[in-house]
Amino acid sequence: MEQYIKDFDKVLKKQRALETNDPLDRLIAIVNKAKEDIRADPSAANTSLAVLGKSFKSVSNTISEEQKELQSSVTKYSKALDKKFTADAMAAINPHAFDNKEQILRKTIALHYIRQGNFEVGDMFAKAKMFDIVAALKNNDLGPALEWATRHRNELEKRSSTLEYKLHRQRYLQLVESQQTNEAIAYAKQIGYFGTRHKREVQRLMGCLMFIGRIHKSPYADLFAPNASDDIQHMFTRDYCSLIGLSQESPLYVSLTVGTQAMPTMIKMATIMKAKRTEWSQQSELPVEINLTDDTKFHSIFACPVSKEQATEENPPMMMTCGHVICKESLQKLCRGINSHRFKCPYCPQESMASQAKNVYF
Amino acid sequence: MNKLNHDQLLSLEHPFVKIPVEKFRSSLRTSQKHIEKEIGNLTDKISEISKKSVQGSMEPSQVEAALEAIVNRLSTLKRKLKDIRADEVLYSQRTKVRLQHLQDFATIQTLDSDEYARWSRVRLNRIVIDYMLRDGFRGPAALLAKSEHIEDFVDIELFAQSAKVEEALERQSCAECLQWCKENNSNLKKIKSTLEFSLREQEFIELARERRSQEAIAYAKKHLTPWQETHMKEISHVMGLLAFPPETKCHPYKRLYDKSRWNDLIAQFRSNNFALQFFTPEPLLNVTLQAGLSSLKTPMCYQPEHRNANCPVCDPETLGALAMDLPLSHHFNSSIVCRISGQIMNEDNLPMALPNGYVYSYNALTEMASLNDGKVTCPRTGAVFNLTDVKKVFIS
Repeated sequence: MEQYIKDFDKVLKKQRALETNDPLDRLIAIVNKAKEDIRADPSAANTSLAVLGKSFKSVSNTISEEQKELQSSVTKYSKALDKKFTADAMAAINPHAFDNKEQILRKTIALHYIRQGNFEVGDMFAKAKMFDIVAALKNNDLGPALEWATRHRNELEKRSSTLEYKLHRQRYLQLVESQQTNEAIAYAKQIGYFGTRHKREVQRLMGCLMFIGRIHKSPYADLFAPNASDDIQHMFTRDYCSLIGLSQESPLYVSLTVGTQAMPTMIKMATIMKAKRTEWSQQSELPVEINLTDDTKFHSIFACPVSKEQATEENPPMMMTCGHVICKESLQKLCRGINSHRFKCPYCPQESMASQAKNVYF
Repeated sequence: MNKLNHDQLLSLEHPFVKIPVEKFRSSLRTSQKHIEKEIGNLTDKISEISKKSVQGSMEPSQVEAALEAIVNRLSTLKRKLKDIRADEVLYSQRTKVRLQHLQDFATIQTLDSDEYARWSRVRLNRIVIDYMLRDGFRGPAALLAKSEHIEDFVDIELFAQSAKVEEALERQSCAECLQWCKENNSNLKKIKSTLEFSLREQEFIELARERRSQEAIAYAKKHLTPWQETHMKEISHVMGLLAFPPETKCHPYKRLYDKSRWNDLIAQFRSNNFALQFFTPEPLLNVTLQAGLSSLKTPMCYQPEHRNANCPVCDPETLGALAMDLPLSHHFNSSIVCRISGQIMNEDNLPMALPNGYVYSYNALTEMASLNDGKVTCPRTGAVFNLTDVKKVFIS
């Protein structure tokens, strides 16, 4: 990536050179000069014109060359991009999967922006408390959010949320930034409550006090990232939704983030399948496993460690007496179809009978 | 697992940088054309003046005036170029900003960092705006770009011209689209577009519909014959319309008279326009969403008793409906989610089976027991057990 930026900077340099030293000015200057020469000495008009003809040609040639050079460097650059960004996203599309579902998709998008408090983009649906707090956060007013977070401290801690801490931290940093030293010191007490959980960072926060007035040039400048307030806003809506039983993240956001991570694999798979003249989107199940991060696993999936098949209602997970779980069909194979036959668990030395195994529900 | 594969994800960003670079390039080409044409003319002019002056048919004062005229023309050219140069700067700067954005991405370490979440949110807004623009919602797209401060990451103005052409086609007028074809002639040839022919066909069809046969024949002579080498079959089909009235039920004339052909023209124009400007033929939102929904989709998503409020596919009103025709995800490995806490069960938070076979996480059960005198209630069956009766489950 860095190389691509460097290469483009070279192009930009050429462009700037062409701009600051406009070649047309050079042309205008030589024509004007010829004109003045002729006015000063009309008898030498022919010589002046001959000189003009020559230099006009040579200057216009350089102009043309400079312009062409810039253009060809852009063309070259554009071609180089094709080598870096090679994935053909469209390989993985099923153009008909969303047919006649445009309204649903639009609704999903609208809901996504509504929960972010961006009403103008979505539709005004319901104006709940959450949106007032978000509006205040947008104005850098942390008060209502802090009040809410403090009231819900226990529930938030249960979800191991750091929202309250982050809000206090932000308030404190606001005071430091606006050089209200005494207020900042007084406010530090609020942060003390989180001292054990965020020890290192609390130390850094206090360290800021040494640099009041030139904080942006201090070793603590990173605490004042311009995006911090966006992050807090996002964190607040996530926790708020979670507490009132809405999905924590916007479903559109989750789907697209998972989709972005899955795309490279999907493209590869779709390309392979196309070569075999089948469409991935026509299958009832994906032929590959897409790894999900823990926060995007929403359902228990049990894949039998013996057969590698996913459990179904007909082939449910069974726990043997030792606590190991395998699918019913694998169990039947291990005991050779005889429920009273003793067999060894494939994962530990313990022996048991199929009749002792128990259906489990995840 | 939480590591980012930068190269793979970056490889998806082709249109993001290609679009502004190509606009930059085409602006350069336009200024180049202007320069070459005008300077070529002026070079000729100077040699003409020179010749006349040598022959004596032009006085030095006249020469002076003629040179003054040349200076004026150069100044006009300079003004004209200024506007194009402004475009060049706009698009080169836009490219630079986008490259920087991708560079920022390359420094993000893990999938669970704040930076990655922030980058994902920007990417979401980018592809939603792209979707809105294609869908004809330029207003909300502009609003969103502005409120998220990502004007440089989206190409709203590129849709202004194409909107005009599409509106004209909706009014059943080909003129604007034909003009567009003329302006982009060489590029359309490169992608082997047949848009112009389709438009010519349509104009002919409209003449035939009104039974203006003489005019239709004249039109065909002028505008259809140039295509005879490649499109003879289509030409003979439309010519056949002269013999059939618009009410005909006869194939293929009925289909040719069908007004829905205008919609096909719009679709054809769109796909050509996207190809020329290096937009993807289908919205990135659709393909990304399909990949995401398929990865998340499980049979449980459509069973009310297994519904999880956090799972996008579980909402039958929105994304669940969109995911309906997509394949289910596939798993070789187990991942067990606690139905009480939503947490993943693993070595740190073991799965525990109640005597009735229902499995929950260790953390959730011990917490429940600590509040209820050592008793736990199975939330799915209502059965009550002692914590001492639960059993460790081993998932390999």
